[in-house]
Amino acid sequence: MTSTDDLSQMFDDESLKLQNLINLADSKSDLSVHEIVETYYQVMNVSSMSTLLKEQVESQPNSLLDKIQVIDKFISEQFNSNIHPQIMKTLSTSIQETTEKLQSGNLGKKSKEEIESEAKLFEELRQKMSTREFVEQYNKGL
Amino acid sequence: MIEKLAKNLVNLKKEFVSLYEGHSQIQEVIPISISELFPIEQQDLELLHQFTAKNPIYYNSYEKVIGCTPCIVYEGDINKYWLSSIQHGSSHAPFSPTWMMSAYVGTLLAKELGYSEVIDIGSGDGRIAFCGKVLDMESYSVEIDDMLVDLQKFLCITLDYNPLCSDAGMFDYSSLNLKQPIFFIGGLAQMGGVSLASEVIEKINSISDLWPNSGWVFAGTLSQKYAPDPKNEAGWGTLIEKNNLKSIQSISLPAAWTFHESDDTPYIFAQPN
Repeated sequence: MTSTDDLSQMFDDESLKLQNLINLADSKSDLSVHEIVETYYQVMNVSSMSTLLKEQVESQPNSLLDKIQVIDKFISEQFNSNIHPQIMKTLSTSIQETTEKLQSGNLGKKSKEEIESEAKLFEELRQKMSTREFVEQYNKGL
Repeated sequence: MIEKLAKNLVNLKKEFVSLYEGHSQIQEVIPISISELFPIEQQDLELLHQFTAKNPIYYNSYEKVIGCTPCIVYEGDINKYWLSSIQHGSSHAPFSPTWMMSAYVGTLLAKELGYSEVIDIGSGDGRIAFCGKVLDMESYSVEIDDMLVDLQKFLCITLDYNPLCSDAGMFDYSSLNLKQPIFFIGGLAQMGGVSLASEVIEKINSISDLWPNSGWVFAGTLSQKYAPDPKNEAGWGTLIEKNNLKSIQSISLPAAWTFHESDDTPYIFAQPN
């Protein structure tokens, strides 16, 4: 059986990972798709842990409950109100810019190399679009 | 004979995948001439090559012997059509073509089953309708994306397979005076295909006496990426049961979207009970 100390330690570790990711997101305007997905997964991971642990420790006064409240507030104020809307906006702008770039580049005959190089840009666009869908799903749950 | 042809095509694709070193987004092969493995009319093969060589979605081609079959490899890119199709509110699935040879084998089976008209729904570049025409069937190609319909108008100079720019769920099929039609539904069940097929089925049901003579072909998937249908049929079981259809045959054929997958695309042929 996992002790309260173990749970508290695990929660601390995951919270620290989340704080690092959120700090990175706050300081970097062009997060990669991988960084965005990793940040959201960690937010969801810590939020789920928080919900689960609250039920377990609610009846007994302890420091874990305080930590949970602090991280919940951090997610709400730092991530949901600040970082998340910024990521949505950046993704939309980036998708629009890439789409326009690709649409304007559709004229004229291209070489095999040009077509295959442009295909990489289309692949990036697909990734950004599917990331936006993922982020929008998160938004619906708020 | 058709099942054997389909099997040989799947084997040819497997060999091609193991040999292919290119980087194109889509690629396919067509045998150059009639052979024991591909006993197809030479004239039909030449028409398939004409359609593909003229088709601007392909930007490169070269000869290669695959297994023991001399073929032409066609390399292509459909990204700009994808970009156009996803901007269509009523487009159910982005354009991704089946192989020319698969379109040919599918329509060959449709002809053997006794159908006289091919209606290619959500037709992309209209290759299934084109193959119907190659096999002397009447063909119609219904596509909502005007960019793809322009492509079809360019391609149908060789053989007119009647490209129609329309939302397939809104089209008036009674205007075609169909007698024994078979409808090829574009798109996987899980990628908007069910909704598209349901709309067309409702339209055909409303035309007096046409429903019992109709045939339906659904492109299925066995991929674990998609939730399976509780009634199976590669994703189409529930729609088949709900519309009182029965599955009469299934053949597996290569398509652009299964190039990197071990399972090819099961095409489910169904008709009213």
